Amino acid sequence: MVKKKTEPQDTVLDAIDAGLIVLDHHRRIARWNAWMVSASGMSTEEVRGKSLVQVFPDVDLERLDAATIAALESGASSLLTHALHPLLFPLKTRAGRDLLHDVVVCAVRGDPETQCLIHIADVTMAAARERFLRDRQNARYDAVVESAPDVILTLDGDRIIRYANPAAVQQFGYQAAELVGQNASLLFEPPTVWTDVWRGLEKGDPSRQSVELVARRKDGSLTYLEVSAARWQTDSRLFVTAICRDVNERRAAEAALRSSEGQARAAALALADLNATLEQRVEERTAKLMEAEEALRQSQKMEAIGQLTGGIAHDFNNLLQGINGALDMIQKRIAAGRIGDIDRFVQGAIASANRASTLTHRLLAFSRRQPVNPRPLDANHLIGTMEELLRRSIGEKLRMEIVRAEDLWLVRCDANQLENALLNLAINARDAMPEGGTLNISTSNTVLDASQALARDVTPGEYMRLTISDTGVGMADDVQARAFDPFYTTKPIGQGTGLGLSMIYGFVRQSQGSVQIESEVGRGTTIEICLPRFVGDLEPDADAPEAGDAGQPPADNEVVLVVEDESVVRLLVVEVLNDLGYLALEADDGASAMRILQSSQRIDLLATDIGLPDINGRQVADAARTKRPDIKILFMTGYAEKAAASNFLVDGMEIINKPFTMDNLAAKIREMIQR
Amino acid sequence: MKKTPKSTPTVLSELELDALTELVNLGISQAALRLAKMVREEVILSVPNVTLVSHNEAIKILAERGSKSLVAVHQTFEGDITGRALLLFPEANSLELVRAVIGRDLSIEEIIELEQEALAETGNVILNGCLATIANLLHRHLKISLPEVLRGESAEFFNMKPPPESGDTVMFIYINFSVRQRNIEGYIAMLLDMPSFAALKALLGEFIHRTTGA
Repeated sequence: MVKKKTEPQDTVLDAIDAGLIVLDHHRRIARWNAWMVSASGMSTEEVRGKSLVQVFPDVDLERLDAATIAALESGASSLLTHALHPLLFPLKTRAGRDLLHDVVVCAVRGDPETQCLIHIADVTMAAARERFLRDRQNARYDAVVESAPDVILTLDGDRIIRYANPAAVQQFGYQAAELVGQNASLLFEPPTVWTDVWRGLEKGDPSRQSVELVARRKDGSLTYLEVSAARWQTDSRLFVTAICRDVNERRAAEAALRSSEGQARAAALALADLNATLEQRVEERTAKLMEAEEALRQSQKMEAIGQLTGGIAHDFNNLLQGINGALDMIQKRIAAGRIGDIDRFVQGAIASANRASTLTHRLLAFSRRQPVNPRPLDANHLIGTMEELLRRSIGEKLRMEIVRAEDLWLVRCDANQLENALLNLAINARDAMPEGGTLNISTSNTVLDASQALARDVTPGEYMRLTISDTGVGMADDVQARAFDPFYTTKPIGQGTGLGLSMIYGFVRQSQGSVQIESEVGRGTTIEICLPRFVGDLEPDADAPEAGDAGQPPADNEVVLVVEDESVVRLLVVEVLNDLGYLALEADDGASAMRILQSSQRIDLLATDIGLPDINGRQVADAARTKRPDIKILFMTGYAEKAAASNFLVDGMEIINKPFTMDNLAAKIREMIQR
Repeated sequence: MKKTPKSTPTVLSELELDALTELVNLGISQAALRLAKMVREEVILSVPNVTLVSHNEAIKILAERGSKSLVAVHQTFEGDITGRALLLFPEANSLELVRAVIGRDLSIEEIIELEQEALAETGNVILNGCLATIANLLHRHLKISLPEVLRGESAEFFNMKPPPESGDTVMFIYINFSVRQRNIEGYIAMLLDMPSFAALKALLGEFIHRTTGA
């Protein structure tokens, strides 16, 4: 008899909100509660007496079978979780959704047999709640991380990527699912740098300095990342969060910078080219400028010559006087038949003619258009050849002293320019000394030390120093400061272009030398020119002939003192006096004349040139008259007009204009002495 | 190694200890088979030795391993022998174990989410394998509880209430767990009360008699 009745336990089992399956000791389904009917969709009748394999043919039941056996045989309870057995049974919620469940298997000891209880717990809600809580908890964190422009990776202690944000997906080109589970070491190249970073993290390296790493994208391309990583722990498990900043742009910028540096270099090269052509243009301009300068120099010279004219005329008169006088004497001696000593006069005439010729030569040379031609030269020699010209140009009122250093070092420059400089400076000095004075020209060897060189803006070393100093009016500081400026002049209009000193400056600087002014108002001016020493030999050059001097012995009775700086003229005058039977005394300047006049020497007549250096003829005369009121005085001068205009002649004073004949002079002297 | 305190009257003979080691190894290898089927990967579980130590010694051994924080899967058993079984890992290794068992690449959140269940189930497989095999071989039926995951320091695990009656002896089993190129070290500790030890000793005697005929 089959009697179907509901046992009381069944009612209880059906009331429980969990799945319950009871297996008999043959592991066949004995009970199957209402929950199971609902979740599996299979009625109790459908499953009773069947094994689980028969009911769930598609389910992997190996673990469950083992658990049921263990329960029946050993009384062991087993747990099969959704973590390791997701959706073990194909169960649905009442809403038809997948039903997450944990399965517990345990033994039910009974009489007569032990059964096995399979308890299925619905964890759908719990899992959903957990996930919901987690999601809400993570929402803010996720908002930050997911929207971060930087790659953010969470790695576990094995460097396995556990999380990758959307920026990582974008950066590496992998899907998030592809990144997660991958070893982060595979991303970075070379792995050694990454490994170093990792080791530091493992050691708990506090340094959080970011490291630049290269990573390879899914497509194989490389990307530069600045990685900063920090470790953190949860439940004593190590995690590392790595934040990787894309520095490709920065690197590109750096590369651009490097390439722009390259461009800058190219530009510099182009500039160098431009400079080269510029130099060429500058050269062309310089050439033109030099032409202009050349013309200017020429006009300067002409200006200098113009200023010289007066002095030169006087000079030529003197020289012509020497020649004429000598020829006169020769004529007389020949007429008198005294030809024994005419040779002296011939020599004198020749000397004068030579000097005139030299002077002419110098003038011509000076005024000639000559290209600038730097050559080794001896400044002493140059001054020697210029001496005549200089003396003429400064006039007789000024004394000129030349001090030449022995063994003077050679210099290398254009001789004509140096002459021009010397002449210009001499003229300036002359103009600075309207009341007379001394023009000193000196040469010396000098070694400029570093500070001296610095002051002169030249390199230290050996220099030839040429100084031209006067005892004139000097220059005020502001004038000194502008002295080398072109077109700056203190002279009245028409008397100078103001280019003299600037020309000198240009010439000296061109010759790697220096020019300096030292001046004090009322005390005079010194111009110093330093030119670098030239080590080598002079080029052969024709020496200018030197003028020779001649002395003359005295005569008898009356004594005549001849003061004349021009030695030829003095010679001639003395000779005439000797011929006339007078005793002639000579002085070549005012000072020596004064000494003679101060002495007790008998002097009947003073014949003096007016234009003498330092003490002029007039001053000598005045001094003579003070000591010897009766002394007769004869002025010899080429500046007739000036002397006449000065109107200083008193009793016992006569004037004779150069050039004069020896006869005229003899007559004049005889007349004066005999008066 | 400290000597077993005198207060512990029950000491297994060398032969009994060898038999126990063999039983445990059998049980563990059963568990390994189960796990291997579960994770579809080779799983090697080995038990090189079984020792009997006092609670303090067990705590000390665990401390020497360098980890104070432990994760334990705890099960109780009742029957002819009664006590607790603990599968112990350094806490840092537990995630390793979960990852090794789950195999799938999951996000850290997912792993953390599943960690508890996965640990419980894995521990359950290992402990059941061990306990059930022992029970079977000893022809005894034990009531073995469901697993419970515990976290804490080792001292806490050896002083759980209620304490085994006057029992201070721990069966301490070093276990080496290897899966998916991961190597995880742990311990199984069995805490028995005094009658259970006596019973175990008797049962081991029976087992030795049956297998060797001695």
